[in-house]
Amino acid sequence: MEGWGLGTNSGIVFRWVRSSYCERKSIFEVMEEGESIQKDNPVVASSSSSLLKQYNRNEQVKILQFVVSKWSSFSYSPENIYVDRPSDQTSRWSSDSNNPPQFLILRLEKPAIVKSILFGKYEKTHVCNLRKFKIYGGLTEKHLIELYDGGLKNDHVPETFPLRYEIEGNPFPCRYIKIEPLQAWGTNFNFSIWYVELRGNDNWEDVKHCMNWYNTYREKEAIRLCLKHFRQRGYTEAFRELSAKTSITLEHPLLTQLHTILVINGDFKACEEYIIQARNEGMFDQFLCQQEYESEWTAIEPVNAKKPDSTSEARPGMRGGHQMCIDVLTETIYMFGGWDGNRDLADLWSYHLPSQTWICLSHDTEKDGGPSARSCHKMCLDYEKKQIFTLGRYLDPSMRSPERLKCDFHMYDIESHQWTFITEDTAAMGGPRLIFDHQMVIDIEHQTIYVFGGRVLTSPASSDSERSPEMLFSGLYSFHIPSNTWALLMDDCVALRSRIGHSMVFHPVRRVLYIFAGQRSKDYLNDFLSYQVDTKEVKVVSDGKSKDGCQAGFTQRATLDPDLNEIYVFSGLSRDKEKRDNVKNSFWVYDIINDKWSCIYKNENVGQNYWMKMQHVEPVPRFAHQLVYDHMRKIHYLFGGNPGKDSLPRLRLDDFWSLKLSRPSSDYLLRRCRCLIRKQQFLEMSSHEPLKAMAYLQNEVADMVDHSDPKETKEFQLLTSSLFPCPSIDDEAEPSSYNPVLQDIDLNFRKRTNLFNKLVAFFPDSMTQPKENLVDLVPLS
Amino acid sequence: MVLTNLHPSFGKKAVYILDCAMCSETVCRRGMLAVLVADGKTELFSTDKYDRSAVGVIPEIFWAKSCWCKIQSLACLNCGAVVGYHVILPCVKCLKAVNNGHRCMFHNKFVSHCYRLDEEGGDFLLWKHLKPHDEDNLLSRECLR
Repeated sequence: MEGWGLGTNSGIVFRWVRSSYCERKSIFEVMEEGESIQKDNPVVASSSSSLLKQYNRNEQVKILQFVVSKWSSFSYSPENIYVDRPSDQTSRWSSDSNNPPQFLILRLEKPAIVKSILFGKYEKTHVCNLRKFKIYGGLTEKHLIELYDGGLKNDHVPETFPLRYEIEGNPFPCRYIKIEPLQAWGTNFNFSIWYVELRGNDNWEDVKHCMNWYNTYREKEAIRLCLKHFRQRGYTEAFRELSAKTSITLEHPLLTQLHTILVINGDFKACEEYIIQARNEGMFDQFLCQQEYESEWTAIEPVNAKKPDSTSEARPGMRGGHQMCIDVLTETIYMFGGWDGNRDLADLWSYHLPSQTWICLSHDTEKDGGPSARSCHKMCLDYEKKQIFTLGRYLDPSMRSPERLKCDFHMYDIESHQWTFITEDTAAMGGPRLIFDHQMVIDIEHQTIYVFGGRVLTSPASSDSERSPEMLFSGLYSFHIPSNTWALLMDDCVALRSRIGHSMVFHPVRRVLYIFAGQRSKDYLNDFLSYQVDTKEVKVVSDGKSKDGCQAGFTQRATLDPDLNEIYVFSGLSRDKEKRDNVKNSFWVYDIINDKWSCIYKNENVGQNYWMKMQHVEPVPRFAHQLVYDHMRKIHYLFGGNPGKDSLPRLRLDDFWSLKLSRPSSDYLLRRCRCLIRKQQFLEMSSHEPLKAMAYLQNEVADMVDHSDPKETKEFQLLTSSLFPCPSIDDEAEPSSYNPVLQDIDLNFRKRTNLFNKLVAFFPDSMTQPKENLVDLVPLS
Repeated sequence: MVLTNLHPSFGKKAVYILDCAMCSETVCRRGMLAVLVADGKTELFSTDKYDRSAVGVIPEIFWAKSCWCKIQSLACLNCGAVVGYHVILPCVKCLKAVNNGHRCMFHNKFVSHCYRLDEEGGDFLLWKHLKPHDEDNLLSRECLR
């Protein structure tokens, strides 16, 4: 599996090396209150909807007064940011270099809880606008923490961003706010900031309260760091004295108990029992659900396997633009239609997962009373009633005569193998016109189908001029199955921009449609919207500006897991401004609860030789493929698609894959913990009872090793070396262990402490000692 | 600068896909078979605009072998091998001669070539049917299937 990197979260952290900067005391006066305050908060960035709630909750939010106390450089004076003059091109701070670090430090008139920042802009787009910036804040200039990481749109609309203002749920005060531009909209251009407004609470009563809390918090954390340090270094008396005097606890009493059992008593058996109990009580759950997924692709059938002609009928052929859906109750996948490179298909297949067999239900659905051959249609399945619905198709321009431009709508009954022709034209029933590349999902409980987006096919004859008519996109429709009625929920509009090649999934518990990405003429959309089907409310989950999310995609496929509250996206074509449109596949997970994207699979290889070699190991990059998800068994299935080869434009794929996403299980974690504990016991044993230690290694330690894992096996084999002591292989001694100050500390005590630190990392953060070490906070300059 | 074999009717010429001979990565999807203006013999491929996502410019500037055009080498972004060059300042001789307007060349021996087919895969793609550079991508197709 070498050669493909498991993706990490794409958020790039910039850490500039500080160089010298000019430091001048500000002579600027605080601007007059109200001078440039706009009537209302102009346009609140869409991501700040939670911010509005904060405003309502806290009446004390007001515009905060500040002065610019430091700046990195300037070609336009920093004082210009006090006033909002969008029509004046000189009314801005501009750096005189784009070399980092460039920054402005704002000093607030009074310490305050700073909740949001507003950036005003020039009346037109400007190359110097900040595409990326970070904001830091704190009580002193030297101790600032990150409050926001984001960017401005390159337009004239002022933008407001919420700032982080809480630590562990408690507001903290700031005196200094630092704005650090990282990138301008024009590469190699200097950074400009036109106008800044800070909002927050500077009511002294409230701030004083936070100051007290903040000071206590810092004091408490400092003492906990000392406690951790004292205990690790064996300064038992100092530890006892300090904890008695301050009555601050280092950790949850349960973990102190673990420390006593393991580090002080060296009772490894009790330690193992303790860990087993902790696992059984769910102590590791928080750690486990924070772990990243790993992806595992399996080819369901041999790719390009040469089969005799007699069996070639037994599986569906190459295609793209087909449809698939899954009945999770019977574990059966249904596939219909598609484009094989030359023509549209009309075959209907089922694949039974447990028996691994394809059955051709119909060679030609039109003959069997169903839809004609088609591609770029959509399909959805009701696993309760065993019904499949299909709607829409693509028509070649030469085929678009008025009588053909009707949107036929069909239903297939799985149990009776019968097609029902619901209507010849949904538009006549108040439903969508003939569309392709739309999305369709079903709400099984309420027996309603939702159809959103897609391009409306129009007759070329209807427009007299030679020019291609304006592209039409279809809105959001619902179809109530029992009453056989269509309704237009929302036409194509700004709040819910219609599109093609997007994704839409339905969350049956939250009763929300999630709509993501797609294309609209020449615009490639990267927004992420939700539509509550009961309240009909549209919400912007993400406007797509953040670099942390899934890349702007087109023809990506999405699925949803209602139990785990996760959305999965398998990318198709990605649109990257810097690079050629490439067919590169990646797999993303969106955590609905925590509003967080992560990339769990990515393969950026494009070389033909590479994919020739890898085609049996993982799917070659593609688009126009199909992906379905079995949320009961947590497995994805992928079939076919277009590999996008210029040299073979008619080539389509017929490979079939399963994708399993796995996280380390609690059993795995428990075994690893027990292995670590037994390893330590073995090491202690080997120094004074080598023979007994060897037996222990062969039995007890070996039991806890997964011998099929090469890394674990290697680790295990290396353990034998400690039976034959030799100075060069003296454990994983840290360099600090040779420090004369530390020499007195017992070696076993140190190793047990290391083991203890490893074990507590699996417990919830709120229970454990601080993660940081006191020694790491010592400045070396 | 180059002179194509059939200069009045470039449109009838086939479009080639060029792959780097070293790593087989595609370096150009819009190649035209041509001969050098300077010697009328050397066969190479030219293109109207090189693809920044596939090839990179090596900064050093030098003179072409057989004329006074100022050129820079182009290298495959995947493996770094030199695959051709682009003219930054053409010489008088080349400007006066009939040319196809392409300033970017790929050396015959550094690239492998094949015909590019049209979208449906029905026939060889000819220059007169080739979309402009900025529209020549998958996403500008009406339907992806």
